[in-house]
Amino acid sequence: MNLRALQDLLYQRITAPHGAADAQGDRCGLSPSVVDTHGDERLSAAERVGIYADAYFFRLLDCLGEEFPATLAVLGPDNFAALVKGYLLVYPPAEPSILYAGRYLADFLSNHPFAERWPFIAELARLERAVLDVFHAADAPVLGVEALRAVPPEEWPALKLRTHPAVKIVHTEWRLGDVLQAVEQGRKWSDPEHQDASVLVWRQHALVYYRSLERLERDALVIVSKGASFAVICDAVAAGAEETNHVALIGRLIARWLADGIIAATDAVPVTTMRDPLCGA
Amino acid sequence: MDRSDFVPLGFGVGLRRPHYASIVEAHPPMDWFEVISENFMVEGGRPLQVLEDVRAHYPIVMHGVSQSIGSTDPLNLTYLYALRAAVRRFEPAWVSDHLCWSGVGGHNLHDLLPLPYTEETVRHVVGRIRQVQDILERTILIENVSSYIAFRCSRLDEWEFLSAVAQEADCAILLDINNIFVSAFNHHFDPVRYIDAVPAGRVVQFHLAGHSDHGTYLLDSHDHPICPQVWALYEHAVCRFGRIPTLIEWDNNIPEFEVLAAVAAEARRRCGSGHRL
Repeated sequence: MNLRALQDLLYQRITAPHGAADAQGDRCGLSPSVVDTHGDERLSAAERVGIYADAYFFRLLDCLGEEFPATLAVLGPDNFAALVKGYLLVYPPAEPSILYAGRYLADFLSNHPFAERWPFIAELARLERAVLDVFHAADAPVLGVEALRAVPPEEWPALKLRTHPAVKIVHTEWRLGDVLQAVEQGRKWSDPEHQDASVLVWRQHALVYYRSLERLERDALVIVSKGASFAVICDAVAAGAEETNHVALIGRLIARWLADGIIAATDAVPVTTMRDPLCGA
Repeated sequence: MDRSDFVPLGFGVGLRRPHYASIVEAHPPMDWFEVISENFMVEGGRPLQVLEDVRAHYPIVMHGVSQSIGSTDPLNLTYLYALRAAVRRFEPAWVSDHLCWSGVGGHNLHDLLPLPYTEETVRHVVGRIRQVQDILERTILIENVSSYIAFRCSRLDEWEFLSAVAQEADCAILLDINNIFVSAFNHHFDPVRYIDAVPAGRVVQFHLAGHSDHGTYLLDSHDHPICPQVWALYEHAVCRFGRIPTLIEWDNNIPEFEVLAAVAAEARRRCGSGHRL
């Protein structure tokens, strides 16, 4: 057996649907022609392969449990383990970093039977994945208040704004922030309300935050996320606002975005903060 | 390889997430840190900021777990170019990975699997290490792994395989003393014989770690204190290879930083009083 065939065979056995269980007994397919036990009575060849099968599954189970703590809390440990077992068969890790092993868990959950019992579960996993993505997203200068104030008023309409790379908007039909927060704080969670409740996830000073977005702010931020001029943003806000004082409304939104550090600096505006300072570590 | 490329860093510990805050805040005394390369091959955020701070205060080395140097898949050039970018940014004293394979068919097991010890595998791995060294523009270290299976087709002992690969690829060796002990138990060989057979001129770093005893086998779990037998093997290795940089690994049930620092201090003490087994 050449090296390629040996690696293919071992990979198949280690990732077999029932992991270590399939690696036991005759179905291992590796003993005695491939795996040398040196006449060891302590462990059979199949049991030795089973050590790797266990390590594969439990390492990924632990990793995904850390990345999706709320999904784990909602499903419970046994259901979560069953979920991961099925997930790894459909989406086996393909990237060098284990950080990306859970990239498709929300997609997998959206068609999983668990989504019938917990209809919000796929969106909850998507939100948790967004938190992780934002945590590792690219660094970039943020737009500060002073920098914006320095722009002459006549240049504001054409001023291009864009969200920082470490910003995501997760569109959901459930108030998932409450579940996430309850799990983070070790409190008992309850089923979220079924309500259009998009969530803004962003990073500031190296920490990740999230909050629910009202429809008006969400629509405005979606426009900003694609890069838009200040004039276009103002028109969109004015068109969707119930409040008649559009100037005050836009001022409040912009002030909050700048305070949260979710707008990237642009070439048109001097940079006030070159990068997130390291604090709150 | 040129041994003068490998400076005497002293005694270090792994940079792990639970200790980020205290290290960045207090910059405690420590000769150097080893970082898991893949944890810092990300676009941005806190890990990179922590590493920038740590690098400004300490020497570091980068230790990979996903190069899969023994795989029959093509080398992952995207990964290697990202690693090269990280190396250029953080300027580690050196770069290491494992003499193993981690995946095949485009998939990753996120584990360190042993290879069959044959001349054919030596040739396969040597060519790939040379490619990696060309891309990274430096001599790399390869580490012996713990293993739980051996292959009937093997024609060399593990130490012969490791030595042949290092000699022919002209790379350095990161000798993991605990891995030798674990594999010696699991495969019934003499760990001292292993240490005595590795070419002294190529070993430039030691790893020390704890393992767990499962009765029928030992598991390289990095979640226990270093056992007395591994300490004794370490002292023997110091006699053979000299006072080379030593790294304490602890990846699960990670204790307070002070505990790790005390273990590094213990390695320093034993380094000065080592004796052959």
